[in-house]
Amino acid sequence: MGVRIRRILTTVVAIVVGLFVLADIFVSQLTTNILGLGFINQTIHGFSALFVSWLTIIVAFALFLGFINVISVHLNRINTNKPGIIYSVVLLLSLAFTLIVGFSTGGPNSISSQAMFEYVLQPLEATIFALLALFIATAAFRAFRIRNLETFFFVLFGVIVLLGQIPLSIYLWPEFPVIKDWILNVPTLAGVRGILLGVALGTIATGLRILMGADRPYTD
Amino acid sequence: MAAESLIFTLVILLIFVGLVLFFLARVRIGRVPHLRRIQAFETLKGFTGRAVETGRILHLSLGIGSMANETTADSLAGLSILSYLAEQAALTGVHPTVSMADPTVMLFAQNVVKAAHEGDRHRVEEAFQNVRWIASQPAAYAAGVMSLLGVDDIETNVMVGNFGDEYLLMGEAAVRQDVSHIGGTSNPNTLPFVYASAQETLLGEEMFAAGAYLQKRPAHIASLLTQDAMRWLVFVAIVVGVLAASIR
Repeated sequence: MGVRIRRILTTVVAIVVGLFVLADIFVSQLTTNILGLGFINQTIHGFSALFVSWLTIIVAFALFLGFINVISVHLNRINTNKPGIIYSVVLLLSLAFTLIVGFSTGGPNSISSQAMFEYVLQPLEATIFALLALFIATAAFRAFRIRNLETFFFVLFGVIVLLGQIPLSIYLWPEFPVIKDWILNVPTLAGVRGILLGVALGTIATGLRILMGADRPYTD
Repeated sequence: MAAESLIFTLVILLIFVGLVLFFLARVRIGRVPHLRRIQAFETLKGFTGRAVETGRILHLSLGIGSMANETTADSLAGLSILSYLAEQAALTGVHPTVSMADPTVMLFAQNVVKAAHEGDRHRVEEAFQNVRWIASQPAAYAAGVMSLLGVDDIETNVMVGNFGDEYLLMGEAAVRQDVSHIGGTSNPNTLPFVYASAQETLLGEEMFAAGAYLQKRPAHIASLLTQDAMRWLVFVAIVVGVLAASIR
């Protein structure tokens, strides 16, 4: 099959599937409640549900391809003797060990597999996230340096909010918690809403470009 | 959702589609507007050159977003940047290292890289070795990227996509390695971390403008103009709403 035909086909499939799923949101309500055309609702909803169920299969298969990618990348790193080769060896050995334990003891719900999650993976994840406290302190130390008017207000608001969070700050000045609440509820919330509004418009635009076939990240 | 709000959503969507088509027609006849300068995109344009000159690696993190949930748009924004970097790589032969936490994003990233190399199988295979799925869990992904930043010879680091708190772990690792760093996300809770650790930032909607700024794609410029027009509509609606509520 020619590249051009393949591109056209994938684009048509993507647009049709996208339109069915989008239409399901509107038609499932509008036809039943307003126009009384239940069969259109059922047809579109049926196709939409089918496409969404396919998505689950595709995601599961993507996970398998990700697994192949991890093996391929780290085998290549070992073969080409890249820096940190020991980490690639440990990763591949851990991967093989987990697979062997999983297959030989009855899958991910077995006691051995659960023990690995509970006593290895979870403590490691907790350790990694515990670093956040330290990193927040170092990032704040860097960010809280007054270089211009923008950073001055950044520091000023940061200090007021920090002081406002401390119960003892009312002995310094009783208005600290009040000002802190105002900062969080008025300028901060206004800024967050502005950002969210922009993000929502950007998300709609991105989705529309896919539906219109202007963006085709799925074709090669 | 109530039928009234569905009709309202449909009307907004139709206005959006109409405006995109209108602006697309204008852009295609050459009426391209002047886009305000976004420093992060200007800096990004120099990153491939720096990777070529120094022989070190450009790392692009696409975050923990997926292609199969509400974070898809964020992942697509990161893929727009990858598309630009892959086109540059096709010219220079220096491939960026791309990492992500979701395997569906990996498939799209491979596709974008493949499209940029237009059938050069050897180059595609080389580039595929640099597209790396790290892990699905945010903490494990952050640990993988921190290791990548520490072990590999990274010159520049770009992190654009969906991120949570784990952003700071990776951002601080980049700072400690003294790596030039551009960060961008649409998650308001993560934006302070981006601001604190990145040298250049793409805050919120700015990251969706990558295609318009980096590749001057007509559809991206048209959607950027549409976003501006819709923002004015929302602004007018808010002012009219406030006035109407105050008068009543």
